[in-house]
Amino acid sequence: MKDDKKEKLLQEVRSIVSQCDRCGSCLPVCPLFREKDVEASSARGKNNIARALIQGGLELTPDVLSAVNFCLLCRACVDICPSKIKTDEAMMSVRQHFADKQGGASIKYKAMGGMLKSRPLVKLASGSLKVLRKIGLNRLIPGGMIPDQYTRKQFLAAFAGPAALAGPAPASTVSLSPETKVAYFQGCGMRMMFPDAVSDTLAILQTVTKPAVVDNLCCGLPHVAHGLREEFLEMAKENMRLFANADVIVSDCASCSGTLKHIAGYFKDDPAWKDRAAEFSAKIMDLTEYLVKAGYQPRLRTNATLTFHEPCHLGRGQGIKNQPRELLKAAGNYVEMSGADTCCGGAGSFHIDYPDISAGILDKKRKNIEKTGAQIVVTECPVCLVQMNKAAEKSGGKFRAMHISQVI
Amino acid sequence: MITNEIKEKIRAVVGPENALDSNLDLFGYSYDSSFIPLLPANKPDFVVRPLTTAEVAEVMKIAYANDIPVTPRGAASGRTGGSVPLAGGIALSLDRMTNVIELDEPNMMITVEPGVRTIDLYNLCAEKGLFYPPDPASWKFSTIGGNVAENAGGMRAVKYGVTTNYVMGLEVVLADGTILNTGGKALKNVTGYNLTSLFTGSEGTLGIITKIILRLIPMPKVRNTLQLMFPSLDEACSTIHKMLQSGVVPAAAELMDKIGLQAVARTRKLDIDPNTEACVVIEIDADDEAGLDKQAQQIDVIAHEFNVTEVRIAKSFQESEDIWAIRRGLSSAVGAMAPTRFGEDISVPRSEFPEMVRRIRKISEKHNLVIAVYGHAGDGNLHPSVLCDLTVPGEEERVHKAVDEIFAEALAVGGTLSGEHGIGITKRAYITDALGEAGVNALKAVKRAFDPKGLLNPGKIW
Repeated sequence: MKDDKKEKLLQEVRSIVSQCDRCGSCLPVCPLFREKDVEASSARGKNNIARALIQGGLELTPDVLSAVNFCLLCRACVDICPSKIKTDEAMMSVRQHFADKQGGASIKYKAMGGMLKSRPLVKLASGSLKVLRKIGLNRLIPGGMIPDQYTRKQFLAAFAGPAALAGPAPASTVSLSPETKVAYFQGCGMRMMFPDAVSDTLAILQTVTKPAVVDNLCCGLPHVAHGLREEFLEMAKENMRLFANADVIVSDCASCSGTLKHIAGYFKDDPAWKDRAAEFSAKIMDLTEYLVKAGYQPRLRTNATLTFHEPCHLGRGQGIKNQPRELLKAAGNYVEMSGADTCCGGAGSFHIDYPDISAGILDKKRKNIEKTGAQIVVTECPVCLVQMNKAAEKSGGKFRAMHISQVI
Repeated sequence: MITNEIKEKIRAVVGPENALDSNLDLFGYSYDSSFIPLLPANKPDFVVRPLTTAEVAEVMKIAYANDIPVTPRGAASGRTGGSVPLAGGIALSLDRMTNVIELDEPNMMITVEPGVRTIDLYNLCAEKGLFYPPDPASWKFSTIGGNVAENAGGMRAVKYGVTTNYVMGLEVVLADGTILNTGGKALKNVTGYNLTSLFTGSEGTLGIITKIILRLIPMPKVRNTLQLMFPSLDEACSTIHKMLQSGVVPAAAELMDKIGLQAVARTRKLDIDPNTEACVVIEIDADDEAGLDKQAQQIDVIAHEFNVTEVRIAKSFQESEDIWAIRRGLSSAVGAMAPTRFGEDISVPRSEFPEMVRRIRKISEKHNLVIAVYGHAGDGNLHPSVLCDLTVPGEEERVHKAVDEIFAEALAVGGTLSGEHGIGITKRAYITDALGEAGVNALKAVKRAFDPKGLLNPGKIW
């Protein structure tokens, strides 16, 4: 049975990477190749490393593992690839293969995965972060993992004073049926690092529906990305149970909604869970996707200049590009930045694993934000928001970073 | 094998971070975009990434003194194995040499280093209203150095020619490290042999190109796209020939056969009449809208002489994009039809295009293989794609026979082995058929003159 699984995993990888004809289309778009321009950093390089690994041209050595870990999973390569090769999925499967071979994921990822798997621990972390932030100790934690929070209150005080041009936005016109049972999926990153944004999300949802708040488990992206697939599948099953009664499940984290939408694919060969998983994935909506469909209009139009950093898992991951921009255009003076859909270098724990490379990528993002003259950079993913906060700090106050719920 | 002592010397020249020798890095520089198998890997012994001409010259001096083979490399997007380090030695990656040295507007010329991406070069010129026309399919990721070394073509060749038509001069580092300058900015120049032309398309076998002077032309002011559908391939080709004879020269005239067209239709969910045997996508350009309209009307009249079933003239930028999307989606749509695809690059006299396609059809039937044909009908450059599954017993042999016969037929109708991809490794077996003994001997004599030790890109062309 175990060997079967291993074989299946390798088969998955093989079927993806063998499609690569090594043309090189992906080279210019890979954010990592821009920072470290050797072949092994690029999507083409990594796909062919995976291929050689399967066909026996390379061994499972530590540098091969580093190469497959050195991927943002941002899908910029998938987007540009003429054969749409899913480098991100191939890399996750190769990481899983390494973990299986070595009798488990690395201690670091196991610890992180174990913590995120436990609701009490996530809540505890959330509480401690709040305290740290309150007493100002958050700035001493490296990696910007406990960023400052610029709250909606502060935002309104700055941009919606008497000088604000417009009055309240028109009333919402909900088009979803009133019977639709909507539930909120609370992501770990949002819960731990951005509780104020979570409150704003709920406040917004309450204007159009009666959102059920479920004490859900982690979406499992950190697990499936780092060789903890069993844990990912286990949590997915529990989440399916928890949300069995909901018709629509809304998340304000692009990584959560993106991952949950893909759960169906992971269960397609499991007869016991296949249908439930497909049904579950079909219920998932990203916050802005839901709000636009529900006819939501921003609570207030402010005179703030806004720009949007498009999370990889939102734009390329779910094809949601217009909705957040539509909402932001109604909420303030919207300016599109160049390279809005380029990865910010956050990518889960990548920014902690590779701080220098991540900083290089983020610096390009910061310059693009500064060029727009925006006062607020808005995004919809907690890891992106951590990165945007770092960029905001580096800009020396030229702009602030906020979650979209705090702005619309 | 390169000794540690030599490696240290090279590291001292380019900096230790630009000289790689881990197994993983050597593997990364072992392949290109050809169908040469990934494994066993053709690994170099050392990957060297110089930044300046002086560094290239120093590295070549060391290689020459120690008899180390050197294979130059740009983005490794070539289709024939040109940058595959077949004999090991040094993979000389020029992708760090990305300076634009000068954009000379009065002379309409640009001087660049080889690692500049072709699209970046194009965009830079376009900002000044200048036009660098060659647009190989890889132009968004390939480097100009690779384009010059392979004499790359592209879709605009029918009106604007190929890379060599724009190369005015080169700086080349020879095998022994000597720096040679050829050509220059003078438009008329008959001083000595035309070495610029010789190095253009030399596939890295004669020297390392480190600087390129390119001629530019004014950017056409307006463009439009047309899509024509024909009930037969002959009528599609006749339309293109009549257009060219009448002085209506399209900026691109791309033809695709039914197999390719239906493949795109499937992937893009388009509804295309099954009686359509050929589709032609045409780009026209002009100084003004009136000029565009006139050309479009002339094409429409000519196409109707040859039983065109549909003439679609794009009415918006979006519609242009939609039409081009059919052509751009072609290669991957065809590729997706089978596990393996052998894409070829033959070039025949324009008038022989339909005859060549008929001969390819016969080969396809004879060997029971699906072969999609598309290409640059305006200039006679065809890309037959042999679709196959090499895991099927006997299929590989049939594919090789079919490819051999395609080359033989291309030569028989007065054509040649490669229009724009080069010979590299994948076509060298056929070079004597194409050039004759005398022709190959002449190439070898040139090679000996420039590279007596045979160190530059060994194992290529013949």
